[in-house]
Formats: sequence, structure tokens, C-alpha cells
Amino acid sequence: MKQHLGRQSGVQQVEVSLLDGKVEITPKEDGQIDPAHLLKATYDSGVSVAEMEITAQGKVVNDSPGGLSLQVSPSLSFPIVSNELSQRLTPLAGTSTLVTVRGQLYQKPPGKKKGEPSFPLKLTVLEVQKQE
Amino acid sequence: MNKKSFALLMLFSTLVGQAQIHHIEMRVEGMT
Repeated sequence: MKQHLGRQSGVQQVEVSLLDGKVEITPKEDGQIDPAHLLKATYDSGVSVAEMEITAQGKVVNDSPGGLSLQVSPSLSFPIVSNELSQRLTPLAGTSTLVTVRGQLYQKPPGKKKGEPSFPLKLTVLEVQKQE
Repeated sequence: MNKKSFALLMLFSTLVGQAQIHHIEMRVEGMT
């Protein structure tokens, strides 16, 4: 799996911890990496993903009435799940403010042995680390 | 290069240069 993920576009380094089942991926400097692609690549290698988290910097944009997205590159954005933390991002929508957030992109549905991820991945904000 | 192309190039450079994913972490099951 480590080699398989390491071959994916935008991946610089993959660290795998067999003890706690943790996989840490460091993207290349250009930031052109697609988490959905990595999620699918992980499933394709025969491993089930229980949870995926990212730390990303981007701009908050309005994508639908009342809906927010985090735009991390011109071609990549994640719809933001509404919660208490996401409410803090609402005033930043449409501005040039860059925010760095830690959030959950995927969690396997409880009770299911194997949960195929549904796309597009939605970002549940867990922490707003920086605004600039 | 006309003004519009230049503005688009600057916008693209800004987005690519500053906005990005820093780190991805997964918890997996069934790894051997």
C-alpha cells in the first residue's frame, strides 16, 4: 500500500504505522494532490479506510445558497459541513483571506464492515488553525 | 499578453502558490 500510494500524483512521502493503522501522507510542494484519489487508491490496494483527516489552507467560497466550500486550488474544493466551527468561516466567504483548517474528509459509516466512500468528499472542520 | 490573460495568470499563481493541502492522515483497517 505504501508503494501504491507513493506512486500517486502529488505525493512526496508516505509513512505507515502498522501498530495503530495510521497512514501519514506528505504532499509535494506544489500542493497538487487529490485526497479523493488517495482514498480510492487505498481501497484499490485492498485496505479499508476508517477515517481521513487533512490540514489544508485555502479560501472560503460560497458554493450554493447558504453553503460554503474550502477552495484549496483552482481545480479542487471541498464542501464544508455546517457545524459550530464552520459558522466562524461564514464571514470570510468570498474574501481573499486564507484560512488553515484541520478537518475530517471521510469517516466510515458505523456498523458497516466495508464502507465505500461517497464523493464529493465533504469537509467537517475540526479546528481553525490560522487566518491571514 | 493582454490584460485579461495577465489577470487570470496572476489569479492562478496566487491560488496555486498559497492555497494547498499541507498534510493528510488516514486511519486504515485490514493492513497486513
